[in-house]
Amino acid sequence: MSVTVYLSGHLKSYTGGETQTQLEADFATVGETLDSLWKVFPALRDRILNEQGEIRQHVNVFSGSDDVKRLKGLATPLRSNELHIFNAVSGG
Amino acid sequence: MADNTLLMVGTAKGLFLLRNDNGGKWTLDGPHFAGRAVYSAFFDQRKGRNEMWAAPTSWHFGAELSKSTDMGKTWDAPEKMRVKMPKPTKKSLENIWQIAAGADPDTLYVGVAPAALFESHDSGKTFQLNKGLWSHPHRKKWNPGFGGLCLHTIVTDAKNPNDIKIAISTGGVYQTDDGGATWQVSNTGVKAYFMPNQYPEFGQCVHKIARHPKKKNTFFLQNHHGVYKSTDGATTWKEIENGLPSNFGFGLTVSDNGSVFIVPLLKDAERFTPEGKLRVYRTRDEGKNWEPLTKGLPQKHAYEVILRDAVASTGNNIFFGTKNGKLFGSMDDGDSWKMIEGSLPEICCVKAYTL
Repeated sequence: MSVTVYLSGHLKSYTGGETQTQLEADFATVGETLDSLWKVFPALRDRILNEQGEIRQHVNVFSGSDDVKRLKGLATPLRSNELHIFNAVSGG
Repeated sequence: MADNTLLMVGTAKGLFLLRNDNGGKWTLDGPHFAGRAVYSAFFDQRKGRNEMWAAPTSWHFGAELSKSTDMGKTWDAPEKMRVKMPKPTKKSLENIWQIAAGADPDTLYVGVAPAALFESHDSGKTFQLNKGLWSHPHRKKWNPGFGGLCLHTIVTDAKNPNDIKIAISTGGVYQTDDGGATWQVSNTGVKAYFMPNQYPEFGQCVHKIARHPKKKNTFFLQNHHGVYKSTDGATTWKEIENGLPSNFGFGLTVSDNGSVFIVPLLKDAERFTPEGKLRVYRTRDEGKNWEPLTKGLPQKHAYEVILRDAVASTGNNIFFGTKNGKLFGSMDDGDSWKMIEGSLPEICCVKAYTL
């Protein structure tokens, strides 16, 4: 299944200006999809995940319309061909 | 004003670079890292490098160390962040509070939250966690203050690479005489008024320490309530508060003359300049007497907060920034002041360098 990953514009400086990309493979989980994304945009990994390999507190990853943090995190089964990565509404 | 000063002003919304190399007129460049908080910056002039370091923190995408080799025109963003908590620590980096030079010209130290020290001995190519401090038995008992559990101050000795002092909120002062292999607690005499035992071995909320420029064993300390001096290498401390309107404050700097500068704030719960007057206090006799400095500073309706890294000096030029975004400078050891900028974002740090 091909997966389209949509990225927050705030991440452009780490992707050479790109805000979406297409990944071609059969991914079982969100984590597998992200591992493939890091190969396309290596600098994204440290900005999306913390040192413990968890999605950062104020970053949202949605598989389709599902917030994966409310499911099984990176182990969430991939059930959509769209993955959205964006910053949470927070800050001051 | 002198013609060769660089200010690196970190704010809640980015980094500003100010130069007065244009006949005394200040020029401003920035914001760099717009929208990101910059709590620490450093200009490395050793070995003729002219490398700028800054630590932008995105509350979404993390804190990182960035470097510029073209005087701030461009900043790098390495694929892998330079400073990362090792996985076995089970911690993640929250913020970078301090970037400091070691005695060796290729050594850099970085203080972070959660309270930890990183070191680089290859001029910033790689950084490692200082394991001596991380494994200190006190570490798990340190508690976060309002700004998080942060290692915010690093004082090195240019002539002795083994001598490093640090300050942690809340943990207090620690020092090493073996280059960081082992660390000794150094809070004797410093009060922790908020603790049941007000003079504990550790747990003090020390806000800033600085060394006298000519007396290597003389240090000054701004505490969470309390101003202190040490004459034995930051081992024991005595109060020096004669003439101060309050002993609460954050920032502290010492000029080349040996004058010490602080900006007192009202007590803990209020935290703004007393009586609506923005007054810097100076001592020229190592704390026997403090005098208010007001020339050029607002003395009416001035309710300002000055953070721990927002007071700086280079030579006898003193600078400070406020949470209301005002940046002030004195080029005469504090006798008179001018507002350099009045509407920056909240100022988190001011770093001053003579070029």
